[in-house]
Amino acid sequence: MVRLTDKEKRMLEGDLGEFRGKAMEFIVRYADVLGAEELVEVSRATLFIGAQRYLDCYDPATDYGKIFSEFYLCSEKALDFARFAEGCKTQTCAGACDFAEYRRSHVSKELIDRNWSYLQATKECGVKIVESCTPYYVGWIPIMGEHFVSTESSNVVISNSVFGAMGNSDGVEAAVCAAITGRTPKWGMHVRSGRRATCLVNVECRLETAFDWDLLGFTIGRLMPKHVVPVVAGDFPKPDIDRLKQFASSIAVTSSTELCHIVGVTPEAHTLEMATDGRKPPYEITVSREDCVESFEMICDKGSGPVDYVSIGCPHLSLDELKGVAESLRGKRIRRGGELLVWTDYATKSMSDLNGYTRTIEDSGACVLTGSCPVVMREDCHRHATGMAINGAKQAFNIKNQTGVPVYFGDIRECLNAALLGKWENRTWKKS
Amino acid sequence: MEKIVIRGRGAIPGIAEGAALVCPDSIAGNSGALGDLDGVIHEKSNPCCGRSIRDAILVIPCAKGSNGFSAHFKCAFLKGVRPAGWVSTKVDGRLGVALASLNLPAVVDFEDADPVKVIETGDWVKIDGTTGIVEIEKNRE
Repeated sequence: MVRLTDKEKRMLEGDLGEFRGKAMEFIVRYADVLGAEELVEVSRATLFIGAQRYLDCYDPATDYGKIFSEFYLCSEKALDFARFAEGCKTQTCAGACDFAEYRRSHVSKELIDRNWSYLQATKECGVKIVESCTPYYVGWIPIMGEHFVSTESSNVVISNSVFGAMGNSDGVEAAVCAAITGRTPKWGMHVRSGRRATCLVNVECRLETAFDWDLLGFTIGRLMPKHVVPVVAGDFPKPDIDRLKQFASSIAVTSSTELCHIVGVTPEAHTLEMATDGRKPPYEITVSREDCVESFEMICDKGSGPVDYVSIGCPHLSLDELKGVAESLRGKRIRRGGELLVWTDYATKSMSDLNGYTRTIEDSGACVLTGSCPVVMREDCHRHATGMAINGAKQAFNIKNQTGVPVYFGDIRECLNAALLGKWENRTWKKS
Repeated sequence: MEKIVIRGRGAIPGIAEGAALVCPDSIAGNSGALGDLDGVIHEKSNPCCGRSIRDAILVIPCAKGSNGFSAHFKCAFLKGVRPAGWVSTKVDGRLGVALASLNLPAVVDFEDADPVKVIETGDWVKIDGTTGIVEIEKNRE
């Protein structure tokens, strides 16, 4: 059984309110499931909440207080909302939909209104409305050693691997309860010994573009043993944050990775020896170019074909990437009858507006959308598509579970070309 | 009938039994992989694609994919589609949340035998979430 401090015991007994008491009850059960011996204070959280599709088990007319209590706090009794932990800076992850563009993103006005009302309820408790799967682009940055919770798997990998912060890939119930109580089990990535690299990954493929890093993450995730902490080593150019974003998102598709050391990038991996604590890793794999091509063939449907639904921005695009998209689309028009969705977060879109990128992109016939993505919005938003081109291995691989139409996967440039031409051109791999 | 007994750590107390549904590469936590409303696995790369988790002893090595893993099981649970119990080679954060949230019997953290290798889909499995004992009757059909 997990040991609790006096304050945690009082919280569990309901002395700090029933809302917080139920949340602590869940955290204690979760800690016991994991085998954790104590809890740790968390100071940052991002939550995948709002009118998400996983709440489809409820009639939309159901009171949100009842939904929140039952779904996140596992309470049969509908509890009154109360303040989340003061010491935990909490905001929303990727949202259920864009707040305004229901026609262009193919969702109902009812969903938009319901999402807004749910988010208002939690905002009153201290949860900021941000709706981003890339919170580090707009100021949510846990520093080295800081304990966090996040319901965005790629954000967990980035926060552990790039910032040296400490957090597990929990789940939305635990993340919500952690943000309410300010506590999470001290287990896994929250403990130094759990962060030691146990699988050496030798990289023998090209690693120059964001697309290369996207494929690398997907490939490592599927090739390495389960239950390991990988460390990537090799002679490759140092990646920037946009490349690391793609890597973090795809490695968490094919594995349960929370931390991937990258020698020369990760604060705990200035050297390979530092990542492994000087020990020989019990596992070792080598990733070749052929392995990455095999991953590509698992994600991208074969051949060429017509495309009328193109989505880029998984994870959400940075301002630099929006600038690149605007430069590529300047003076061009996307194919009539097709659509090009460009996903980012609200803050980044505001900066894109300010710089004129949004205008340039939308002059092409594309639309810049915020806060969500097709996979999260589910089948209703893309049921009309007859052929898709998708950027981001995470989005492309997972949308296949929601559709039977061809799904093509490529880098941003290839996807923009598909939107301009209305068709996908078969990718040809250059000999290395 | 051949019976095999393996032992892990009891994570959620209680006794459950049912036909095993073994997913050697787990089930993705990403939206659409597990049907929120029907509890059917729709993940195209999953060997159990098309099968329901209903009343099964779900046998997985760990969780994977999105941190939404638990939420999709919870949605199906609230719609009345739930596994009888869980067996997992090793617990992790994503899976731990699902176990705590559904509060169904579960055995995890096996050291001597990997349940994903020992158990096959269709085997009859009885688990004790207090003692960590898992009894397997092999399906000989």
